[in-house]
Amino acid sequence: MDVKDRLIAELGSLPAIVNLVDQRKRGYHLEVLLTPKIIRDFSLLMRRLDFYLVFVSAVHLDPEVEIIYQFANYHGPCRTLARAFVPADGIIPTISDIFHGANWHERETRDMFGVVFSGHPFLLPLLLPEEDADLKPLLKKAAALKSAERIRRIAELATPVAVDNTGKNNPEQN
Amino acid sequence: MEANTGGKHSFVLNMGPQHPSTHGVLRVILEMDGEHILEPEPVIGYAHRIQEKMGESRSWPGFLPNTGRLDYLSALIYNHGYVALIERMTGTEVPLRAEYIRVITSELNRISSHLLWLGAFLLDLGAFTPIMYAFDDREQILDILEDITGARLTYCYFRVGGVFRDVDDKFVERTRAFIKRLRGRFKPIYSDLVTTNIIFIKRVKDIVNITPEMARRYGVTGPPLRSTGVCYDIRRNEPYSIYPELDFEIPVGTSGDCLETYLVRVNEMEQSLRIIEQALDRLPSGPFRLKVPRKLKLPQGDASFSVETARGELTYYMVSDGSDVPYRLKIRVPSFSNLSMLKELCRNMLLSDLIMALGTLDLVIPEIDR
Repeated sequence: MDVKDRLIAELGSLPAIVNLVDQRKRGYHLEVLLTPKIIRDFSLLMRRLDFYLVFVSAVHLDPEVEIIYQFANYHGPCRTLARAFVPADGIIPTISDIFHGANWHERETRDMFGVVFSGHPFLLPLLLPEEDADLKPLLKKAAALKSAERIRRIAELATPVAVDNTGKNNPEQN
Repeated sequence: MEANTGGKHSFVLNMGPQHPSTHGVLRVILEMDGEHILEPEPVIGYAHRIQEKMGESRSWPGFLPNTGRLDYLSALIYNHGYVALIERMTGTEVPLRAEYIRVITSELNRISSHLLWLGAFLLDLGAFTPIMYAFDDREQILDILEDITGARLTYCYFRVGGVFRDVDDKFVERTRAFIKRLRGRFKPIYSDLVTTNIIFIKRVKDIVNITPEMARRYGVTGPPLRSTGVCYDIRRNEPYSIYPELDFEIPVGTSGDCLETYLVRVNEMEQSLRIIEQALDRLPSGPFRLKVPRKLKLPQGDASFSVETARGELTYYMVSDGSDVPYRLKIRVPSFSNLSMLKELCRNMLLSDLIMALGTLDLVIPEIDR
């Protein structure tokens, strides 16, 4: 069983939506839609399946910020992009104890977007100077802000896989 | 400043941001016990220019020159990732000749980056001679690339749909001469002077041990990862451009120490020469660039593109709202993840070995800070 099939099978245990993506057109193989509650479970799963963290970042959307995780695997092509909407209080659980590399990525995301990672051991400014800790330079002005539907690829290019055990809890519709 | 830890006296030592061995503006705050490091804390951000904001505040062609200014030592490979991402999003075809030119010039760039690393790394160890030879060879590459790109360091040569200018016979001839020259120098210079030098081996063997497990936790890629025995190279694992058609090996090490990382890089230079030679042999004729509309809109949606730079995996991730100005551009750079490992890697290490750890990771600070 290759890396991708194994991941798809294991993701069945999580209430997440998994989409197969055309790698040649979008550069990654799987898209996973998460809720903040299952970010840590998802990360533990990725750790167990020998994935490494490519990056953690965010996109400022209307009305909320969306956090993005990208993972890849040393042993087989299975680039995975996971996303979740940050709740209104701006707090997301840290994964820096699961993937140690996330420590700096989360600090950078805190600098740029003001997302707070609860449980992070050292959430101080990384790239910004201390006096500009609350600058959040990558947040957009209201006029430039777009809603999630305006930046999603038109649906026919993504093929949903069998794994969708969320029922009605589709995070895209929240 | 003095702290008291467990009855022992420790002190805090500041290294950088202006320090010859931090290569750029990296600062490391070290809590020391004598010559041993108790806790290293890297401080970055001195060269932060907020490139990602620049990427989303102008139409996409306007950001192309910036890509060469992130990692200025492998600027062409950064060009490559960016134009390939735009090509992937817009479905632009690239002529075969352009793909060959891209690979040839990218690999030349990779060699020049490794040569500079080789010289600077040995200089950090106190060996002054090798950098003279390395720069002599690197100078040849810069001359070759200057002729076709017009720049010596911060290239902006690749375009969406091809390259800026075609290569001529003179370029092919000079590149072939360079391959011959560098091959002739591996044995008498780099091997006899450095690789088999007993002082060098004693200094670098079993120092700075990276394990595959540690590399995975931090997302380490590039030569530091391959030196641990993990055969992972984007050119092979997620092939792009014409790399699948070329015959080359991915050098790997075993123990992940400084010596293995050194050998991986030296062997990579030889493999790059193989790639260039094959690509020159097969260089097809035809157009080097396709006409692309000046105002090319990016379709709505997101896309990601990864390439293997001299330092590891570079990933551009772009979100588009359907206009020609990207909505969001995330640049994942290899040295950022590689350096984040430093805290764990250098705990309980001698101060003099920290210099080697920084050297072996091959850091380019403006790339980390973006």
